[in-house]
Amino acid sequence: MLAYLLNLATLMCINAVLAITLNFIMGYAGIFSIAHAIFFGVGAYSAAWLALHASANIFLVIPLAMLVAGALSLVLALPALRVRGEYFVAASLGLQVLGVTVFSEWKSVTGGLGGMIGIPPAELFGHAVADPVQFLLLALCCLIPVLLLTSVLLRSSFGRNLKAIRDSESAAHACGKNVAVIKTLSVVISAMLAAVAGALYAFYMGFINVESFMLDTSVLLMAMVIIGGTGTLLGPLVGTVLLMLLPGVFSYMSFLPQTEIGSIQQIAYGLAMVLLMIYRPGGIVGSSSARPAKEKAA
Amino acid sequence: MLLLQLLINGVQVGALYALIAVGFSLIFGSTRIFHFAHGSTFTIAAYVFYDLLSIAQWHWSLAVLASAAAAVLFGLALNRFVYVPIQKHEGSFFTVFVASFGVGIVVQNLCGMLFGRSFVAVSTPLSRSVEWLPGLYVSPLAGIAIVIALLFFFALQLFLMRTHTGMAMRALSENPELVRAYGLSPRRLSMMVFALGSLLVVPAALLSAAGSGLNPAIGHHVMLISLAATIVGGVGSLRGAACAGLLLGLAENLALAWFEPQWSEAITFIVLFLFILFRPSGFFGRVATS
Repeated sequence: MLAYLLNLATLMCINAVLAITLNFIMGYAGIFSIAHAIFFGVGAYSAAWLALHASANIFLVIPLAMLVAGALSLVLALPALRVRGEYFVAASLGLQVLGVTVFSEWKSVTGGLGGMIGIPPAELFGHAVADPVQFLLLALCCLIPVLLLTSVLLRSSFGRNLKAIRDSESAAHACGKNVAVIKTLSVVISAMLAAVAGALYAFYMGFINVESFMLDTSVLLMAMVIIGGTGTLLGPLVGTVLLMLLPGVFSYMSFLPQTEIGSIQQIAYGLAMVLLMIYRPGGIVGSSSARPAKEKAA
Repeated sequence: MLLLQLLINGVQVGALYALIAVGFSLIFGSTRIFHFAHGSTFTIAAYVFYDLLSIAQWHWSLAVLASAAAAVLFGLALNRFVYVPIQKHEGSFFTVFVASFGVGIVVQNLCGMLFGRSFVAVSTPLSRSVEWLPGLYVSPLAGIAIVIALLFFFALQLFLMRTHTGMAMRALSENPELVRAYGLSPRRLSMMVFALGSLLVVPAALLSAAGSGLNPAIGHHVMLISLAATIVGGVGSLRGAACAGLLLGLAENLALAWFEPQWSEAITFIVLFLFILFRPSGFFGRVATS
């Protein structure tokens, strides 16, 4: 039971990092990316590759994984600068499909569909973090800085610039803001922080393959952000905790057919997305703060 | 001979993609609703057909009618119970998209639970390939797909250009306010657009069920294709969507001559990605949103 709870808590931390970074671009910069799992994957694959071929020292692996993801995120920033709304969704969808193909076909680096196995545990000051409790602490030590960093950034002038761009790009431009640089920076920051989650995931599982970085993951992350509340600080955390608890809750309901748990869970969050959009587009956290969630038609 | 074979396969797949894309493009162009659940309409139509024909042993014409009815009902219900309520309080594109995506997830998993997650196909004598030339296999379905696609486009074109309702639908995509000023109801028109758009996906669904087979996740693929075709062809242009659908089908199949099959979906998206970067308005598009 303890092992189960530790596992759940660690995975929650990892997913929370992802949800927070996705919310950073989705809720504040208005960049609706459904390719977030790709940066998670890039982080995980680079970390795994480094750990297998060079060193598992996290002070080396995590910064390098962040760099790789940050550099690749420029590919996503490119369409984000040119188009908005449905066009960007389509472009990011394209990137997601492309990324999955590369993950599963670039066999010499990613190991193809079989993935990478035998990733050594993370090393911290020469000490291998293999114990689940220690790893949970490590994951928390990553989650908290990410949370702090994003909230500080959002309260700074950078965050206000982002919101200005989200609400009206041309107005921000007219006020002398460099829209291109701000947008690119937000995408790069989000991708780099998502890579931290990827590196943690690779170390924690000791095994990665393309299954963890498919469109489903991107959608699940999107659901976490939306159900929790887009554009709120607490929203992604609430959404992550809720959606991660869901599988556990369903497996305790013994009247449900056990083989269909996966489908029932997906149906539950699909329905939650539909109902929330109809009745509470602001999400769970967004509605309680009594903020008028009125946006004009895009 | 390989190239010719791939070309024919490409045209067959492309004709189906074109039908799917035109339905999506019609809905998206006239109502501005990002109908991501269009893929679900496809899945529902295909599974109803499969279930009635192969399992319940109905006559094929009844099965076709039932599946068309199911698709239209689904489209109308989605419009009435999901999109209209959302648009009442907030018309933001993303809200609609998320809700639609949610519907897609629910339908995919329900189909998985009801019909199983493996591939199924309706086997008919028509789907068997015949050797035309040495090494060139063509099934009668290829011809049927092309003829049906052309027939539907012709009928749609006639409907949109010649009838009052068709003209009103085109007007809706231009200016909903003006449509209201002329005493027509945009809500009723959107309903009809949804019915028509959903109906267009039915032939493609049936032909796929009889040809390449289907599984619950096929809705995703269908959706990706129609989205890509709509953008590559230019939002609001049905002709563009049809051409782009055909192009994507061809590209996907011709690419097999040089790349491994795993790359076919990626190739579609490289085409899409380049279009979004360099020509967001597509072939025949009017205005690019930027």
